[in-house]
Amino acid sequence: MSKKDKISEDSKPLDITEKIPRERFANMVPVAQRAYLEIAGSQEKDGIFELSERAVVIGRSTECDIQLGVQNVSRNHARVAFHNEEYLIEDLESTNGVFVNGIKVVKCVLRNNDQIEIGGVKLVFNEEKRLHKK
Amino acid sequence: MLVTFWGTRGSISTPGRTTEKYGGNTPCVTIESEGTRIILDAGTGIRNLGIELVREAESGKEPLEIHLLLSHTHWDHIQGLPFFLPAYLKDTKVTIYGSPKKERFLASVLKRQMDYEYFPVSMSALTADIRIQEMSEENLRLGPIEIEWEEQVFHPGGSVRYRISAHGKKVVYATDVELDLIFDRDKPSEEKEAAARDYLQFVHGADLLIADGMFGEEEYPARVGWGHASIPAVIEAATKAKVKQLAVFHHDPQHSDKYLDDLWVKYRTRCLADPHSMDLFWAREGLTLAV
Repeated sequence: MSKKDKISEDSKPLDITEKIPRERFANMVPVAQRAYLEIAGSQEKDGIFELSERAVVIGRSTECDIQLGVQNVSRNHARVAFHNEEYLIEDLESTNGVFVNGIKVVKCVLRNNDQIEIGGVKLVFNEEKRLHKK
Repeated sequence: MLVTFWGTRGSISTPGRTTEKYGGNTPCVTIESEGTRIILDAGTGIRNLGIELVREAESGKEPLEIHLLLSHTHWDHIQGLPFFLPAYLKDTKVTIYGSPKKERFLASVLKRQMDYEYFPVSMSALTADIRIQEMSEENLRLGPIEIEWEEQVFHPGGSVRYRISAHGKKVVYATDVELDLIFDRDKPSEEKEAAARDYLQFVHGADLLIADGMFGEEEYPARVGWGHASIPAVIEAATKAKVKQLAVFHHDPQHSDKYLDDLWVKYRTRCLADPHSMDLFWAREGLTLAV
């Protein structure tokens, strides 16, 4: 059965169009925002970190939320915090700096597909917005 | 010095999905050094800055002392002022500096923006201690920051550029000036040569130049006389002046994030081909960098 046929089948009878109550649309408004930091080129699941409203620290130390075991990464290199409903990356006075799209930054609000470089490690910031399923 | 971009768009604010990366707010930049902060321009970006400053004030720090330097009084550079929350705080001191060359005095221009016909709150009703001061011949010194200024003529009504120095570093804020006319090789004149000399001298060796680069080279011929520069003209002038880092600023309201990304790739690739070239980037809202 083609898609068109399926729609026709579901819409029967054709002489009546159902009125959709407005309340049904109201349930569709809330949006779930999800954001991720992904180590560029990583094939493994553990190279993707989902961000929440809790700040995360990125660095070489085992205490870090996102640990990057690379010598050019400082022990506590950068923090990503949720501020004004946006994610903000901040350099924690690291030795080699934080770069966003090739620019050395002290702080930067992150946008979808921003490329971050931390001590030679490349990460990509991704975010998505979806309707809450009720 | 810490430099933060609160608004980078030229002419009119451009909210929406296609401008969220570089931002839709009109010009506002802060420069901080050792607790002294100056604000450059009061475009719509100053609204978010004001919210942050009020948060700071509420967190128990000392009362706010704000120094706002205006490049000129076109709408996109002053329109955020009525929405600047610290102006409504009793203990805040706000000093607004601008060109002494205005036909109507700076205070009068700003007050008229808040006439009842345009805005429900008059400037005299703002509770902060607001002083409006025209720049004098002498350089301005605020804490560790020294501020020099010059008039720019190749913009309708004129504008002012500022050089901000602290601890041996220099940031130049030179927006709203049509460099293509100043550096016009086809129609040279004494006035242009003098303007080019003054410009190059003022920005020479800047660690960061924040400069109007509103148009791509293909767009500029249809916009001659609008008072804004093309990107190649800014890059050429900054290269001549041995600028170390160039932030292209005052983005055209028609330019989407995708279009600006494409321009950045095009011009940055050209810059990277020269090993002695400066660092080039497109100013974006929410970015703080150290100079």
